[in-house]
Amino acid sequence: MTPSYLARRFFHALFVLWLSATLAFIALQLTPGDPAQALLAASGATADQVAARRERLGLDDPWLVQYLRYISDLARGNLGYSWLHGRPVGRMVLEQLLPTAELALAATAVGVALGLGLGVLAAVRQGTWVDVAATAVAAVGLSTPTYWSGLLAILFFSLQLCRFPAGGEGGLRHLVLPAAVLGFALSGSIARMVRARVAEVLGAPFVLAARARGLGARRVLLVHVLRAAVGPALAVTALQFGFLLGGAVITESVFARRGLGRLAVEAILWQDLPVVRGVILVGAVAYVLVNWAADVLQAWLDPRLWEERV
Amino acid sequence: MRRFTILFALLVAIIPACAARPGDRLVYGLTLAPSGIDPHVNASSELGIPLTAVYDTLVYQDLSCNCFVAGLAERWEVSDDGLVYTFYLRQDIVFHDGIPFDAEAVRYNLERITSDDLASQKARFMLGPYDHAEVVDDYTIRIYLGEPFTPLLDALSQVYLGMASPAALAEWGEEYQLHQVGTGPYIFAEYVPGDHLLLRRNPDYAWGPEIYANETAQVEEIEFRFFVDPATRSPALETGEVQVMGEIPPQDASRLSESDDFAIVPAAVPGVSLMLFMNTARPPLDDVLVRQALLYGTDRQAIVTAIFADTSPVAYGPLAAATLGYEPAVQGMYPYNAERAADLLERAGWSDSDGDGIRDREGEPLVLDLYLMSWGYMPEIGQMAAAQWRAIGVDTVSQVVSYPEALSIASEGTHHLIPFTLSGSDPDILRKFFHSQALFNWSGVNDPEMDFWLEEAAQLGDRQQRVALYSRVQRQVMQQALVIPIRDYVNLNGISRRVQGLRFDAQGWFPQLIDVTLEDR
Repeated sequence: MTPSYLARRFFHALFVLWLSATLAFIALQLTPGDPAQALLAASGATADQVAARRERLGLDDPWLVQYLRYISDLARGNLGYSWLHGRPVGRMVLEQLLPTAELALAATAVGVALGLGLGVLAAVRQGTWVDVAATAVAAVGLSTPTYWSGLLAILFFSLQLCRFPAGGEGGLRHLVLPAAVLGFALSGSIARMVRARVAEVLGAPFVLAARARGLGARRVLLVHVLRAAVGPALAVTALQFGFLLGGAVITESVFARRGLGRLAVEAILWQDLPVVRGVILVGAVAYVLVNWAADVLQAWLDPRLWEERV
Repeated sequence: MRRFTILFALLVAIIPACAARPGDRLVYGLTLAPSGIDPHVNASSELGIPLTAVYDTLVYQDLSCNCFVAGLAERWEVSDDGLVYTFYLRQDIVFHDGIPFDAEAVRYNLERITSDDLASQKARFMLGPYDHAEVVDDYTIRIYLGEPFTPLLDALSQVYLGMASPAALAEWGEEYQLHQVGTGPYIFAEYVPGDHLLLRRNPDYAWGPEIYANETAQVEEIEFRFFVDPATRSPALETGEVQVMGEIPPQDASRLSESDDFAIVPAAVPGVSLMLFMNTARPPLDDVLVRQALLYGTDRQAIVTAIFADTSPVAYGPLAAATLGYEPAVQGMYPYNAERAADLLERAGWSDSDGDGIRDREGEPLVLDLYLMSWGYMPEIGQMAAAQWRAIGVDTVSQVVSYPEALSIASEGTHHLIPFTLSGSDPDILRKFFHSQALFNWSGVNDPEMDFWLEEAAQLGDRQQRVALYSRVQRQVMQQALVIPIRDYVNLNGISRRVQGLRFDAQGWFPQLIDVTLEDR
């Protein structure tokens, strides 16, 4: 990885962040409604008091002025204050980032493990009932909304079996159900990708060569085939990161967990624009980082990609 | 495969099963995660559920006499012109941080609430025409108003105007909401936004109002957790994760109330009932006959049965029956009568001339724009009501919008119908909806007589005179058919039967946690 490649990636990342900050700003300006009115209407404020609050929040300024103020604050690392809570957005986002990251990581682990397992199993036993069953499980994972599978998991594991808490935080036990539910949803697309890739690789000349050299089927599968299959699984996982964040929103609410998702939903409902922008920006940063990491990992796994980039 | 099954079974077996939480700790499920919980700043009802036990207020409302009783103030006087309130404070009260409570603390709190920098979303406006406060001596404070404002005592009895430690306010500034200090029966111990809030018993509490049965709190710790998704609430109660859970969905509530281990404690919330505002400024709803037809054509009982499992009362007028000054005469008005509705529409000139099932007049079909918000079962109510109106030949186009969007649609007046509900214990709440200058004047009403009644009633000191005026307002609202009331708000609290003594204050939302006990079982 040459310095110029890294520099290119860095500026690319900066551009992506600026773009998402700007798009978030524009999209939120286009949403109908007056945040000052939403904050105060039910409290019996008069129209004059609402107007005063609008002015205080800077909502009466022209768009361009608001935009420049936002971007220059951002450049100085200042995400602003929440209109709803009156606290610094940066601190509020940080508080909620860790629980979401914890859930996203655990779900990714579950998703990758399950996806790889199902995909490899289906590919190795192509055309048999195992393939059909594994593919079906993957399809169910792909198409089941987490608010439904989450509730089922709570009803079964918490209420019937009484094994896992239905919600909240506090160690691994609280993480098991939400991570399993979200990971299961994630595993579907990974399994599909892995199945296709492994099936392809199984017939590739280098696998035949390895078999011809007398290597055992298990060793060929684990060393040669899997290595080829992990790459695409990583790529899909990285691409699915957006889905993961979105899924975390719902999973968090089903399992009564705190996190960025719930913060975002509340902020959107109340048009607490500084918070919405803050969450979007953090999501964008995470997205850039994850895809970057996936690129590097993939290049490490597949030397051909490495050479292309050097 | 079998190995996996065995492994799984083993795994399930070694993880401990549900067990009741040991010790003297109550877990209370809230339905919002109010990340903003500074009572002086924020506006949610949810924040008051824990914090009513953290703060004391100058006065309290006693539901048994519908009157105000002593709190931090042992007595008070109101000047004849209604502009000056003098409060004589108790002298034995200390904040949780050890600082004595006095008149200067009250002044400091009022100053904070009314300062522009705080950007209060509720408390400031509850104080109405507040002008300033004056410390007369260590334990006497005077509040001066710009004009008479009778709901002031009601406001001062609520947690939003609870008295916080000036030292803590000064120390924590914008982060105060994470470090709150009051004088109440529970101490604010820990708050992790979005995850939990922990209260610990205040052993020194000895200055509770007479509405509290106990001198100090009975449960050592109360932990609040947040359950945003309604479907998860009764499972959390049934697994023993919480012992109290607010806002149980009506269908779950019917099931739970038949169980031996759980019970439902319904709390009627006073205020403005859930109702559909009819925009009288936009044809065809400018015609009172059409509005009355919609009222007759709405089977509210069917809606309350289907959607609320009969857990909340049918609403007949703008005020919920649990509100001071409720006028029962509205109950006989507009019983469900589809024929009468059809009749009124015919009289207004709307008939189905082309046989498509929708009435029309001069070639225009009778179509109404209905805007709904996603909370409070509004989409379900809208759907049922629309089907009922279709039966009398009225078509609707409905759309679900966010709250800020609904506000701007309503202020532009491009709606025909929008539902809303708001809690509040003083009937002055009607002024927010039916005064011509009100932000929630979603009916587009412009009635000088009603404006006068509402303004007058907010200033009159005499309760009976006030109630008489509010009674006129309620009858006028229904005679003019400005709204279609649907149901009164009832908070269905699910509790474990281990929990005793859960009662709610005059606001309907806020529990008197000092009197709650938790039995071992």
